[in-house]
Amino acid sequence: MTEILRLRNLHKSFGPLEVLKGIDLAVAQGEVIVLIGASGSGKSTLLRCINFMEIPTSGRVFLHGTPVGRQTSSGVSYVERELTQIRARIGMVFQHFNLFPHMTALQNVMEGPRTVLKCSPDECRNRADNQLRKVGLEWKADAYPSQLSGGQQQRVAIARALAMEPEIMLFDEVTSALDPELVGEVLITMKELADEGMTMLIVTHELGFAYSVADRVLFLADGNVLEQGSPPEVLTYPKEEATKNFLRGHSSFRLPEPQLD
Amino acid sequence: MGYEWDFLVVLRDFDLLLLGLVNTLKVTVLALVLGVPIGLALALLRLYGNLVVRAPVGLLIEFLRTTPPIAQLFWFFFALPILTGIEIDPFRASILTFALQSSAFFAEVFRGGIVSIDTGQWEASKALGMSRNESLRRIILPQAVKRMIPAFLERAIELMKTTTLVSTISYADLLYQANSIAQSTYRSLEVFSIAAAMYFLVIFACSMIVRYIEARLAIASEAAH
Ligand SMILES: Nc1ncnc2c1ncn2[C@@H]1O[C@H](COP(=O)(O)OP(=O)(O)O)[C@@H](O)[C@H]1O
Ligand SMILES: [Mg+2]
Repeated sequence: MTEILRLRNLHKSFGPLEVLKGIDLAVAQGEVIVLIGASGSGKSTLLRCINFMEIPTSGRVFLHGTPVGRQTSSGVSYVERELTQIRARIGMVFQHFNLFPHMTALQNVMEGPRTVLKCSPDECRNRADNQLRKVGLEWKADAYPSQLSGGQQQRVAIARALAMEPEIMLFDEVTSALDPELVGEVLITMKELADEGMTMLIVTHELGFAYSVADRVLFLADGNVLEQGSPPEVLTYPKEEATKNFLRGHSSFRLPEPQLD
Repeated sequence: MGYEWDFLVVLRDFDLLLLGLVNTLKVTVLALVLGVPIGLALALLRLYGNLVVRAPVGLLIEFLRTTPPIAQLFWFFFALPILTGIEIDPFRASILTFALQSSAFFAEVFRGGIVSIDTGQWEASKALGMSRNESLRRIILPQAVKRMIPAFLERAIELMKTTTLVSTISYADLLYQANSIAQSTYRSLEVFSIAAAMYFLVIFACSMIVRYIEARLAIASEAAH
């Protein structure tokens, strides 16, 4: 079991508000981790610190054992160039897709390889074709985002992240903005990705999906990992009162669950 | 009213009017060609420069936008040479004035366009590993510019109208030429009518072209937004 990502005593504050209060986490290659927790508990902030969309206030992120940033006497200092390189290696998918509206689906997926990786036009095209095919949208290659359903847009967004051939994928409530009937197709795409061995950190309220896809479930409360374990351990037999309360409020395992296999 | 129209007298000097129109277009186009990139630079400095840069740039923009263009023109034509000791001809003074003056307006148009883009676009490009410059160039500006086109057009037309001020420092633009012809032929009504018609035709044609481009762009992406 190779470790791909490690967070050591990660803290993040926004002004006086401390959102992450010392997160420790080791992620193995190919592991699928689902983060659950109440709104405001710091799930998004945790994901965003992993790819440095937010700079941690203190603590350290290790990728393949290598620490990001440089330790100085006054804390860890980061160089923007290093951070853009880290971001290029970690894919992120957002709740609101954030596709580039002035580009077709194909151009959206080609954009990362083209602008960031400086791939040749053929290579960009190849990667984009492959990823669009993988999410089942090669037939929509020339459509603009505005011509796609929410579910299709989110699958293009996943393809866009995958075209960078990331080592880790981060998903932040990627089905929360979708009409219920469009949730399944996105969850299926994610499940396929997990089955292929992609390392994934997923924030979701789809507990049925979490149960079927996760190797490990983390329950976040108030900036701490309050409880973690296998899906049955956390979702079916939680130990902590806060976890039980959270799950009760969720009528867990509600549909839609993806029709797997 | 027994006024007898006589366009023939004026049409004999039509080549002079055309020359004036060409000169007007020269000033307008050059001011645009210089003013747009300077405006973009000013906008970026105002948005992303450090504090030491941001404040003076903001002040410069506000100054250029709030002082009368004719005062600026006179300053560059009459005052600047005293300061530098270098004579400046009416053409250069005009270009300098209107390039700078319109750059201030374009800076505000650019800034408005850039900040109007959803932060999700910055997030997505950043998450892909783009630098801020790459995000700007590939993702933000292409979308912002599309939204700015109506404001650009309005500014460009406004600019062409404002360039009539250059006649006050004896630059031979359309208005200056019309005025000379009027004085030599005593046919002010005809001359200025024709000059106005020429302004109208050019500006109207420009706005038609831009409207067509706008419509094409709308089909390309914003259609079902
Ligand atoms: N950029 C920010 N500036 C200030 N406060 C923020 C920022 N981002 C998140 N927060 C605050 O941090 C807390 C945790 O937010 P978040 O990580 O988004 O929680 P979750 O994703 O679990 O709902 C919230 O109280 C939120 O208001
Ligand atoms: Mg969140």
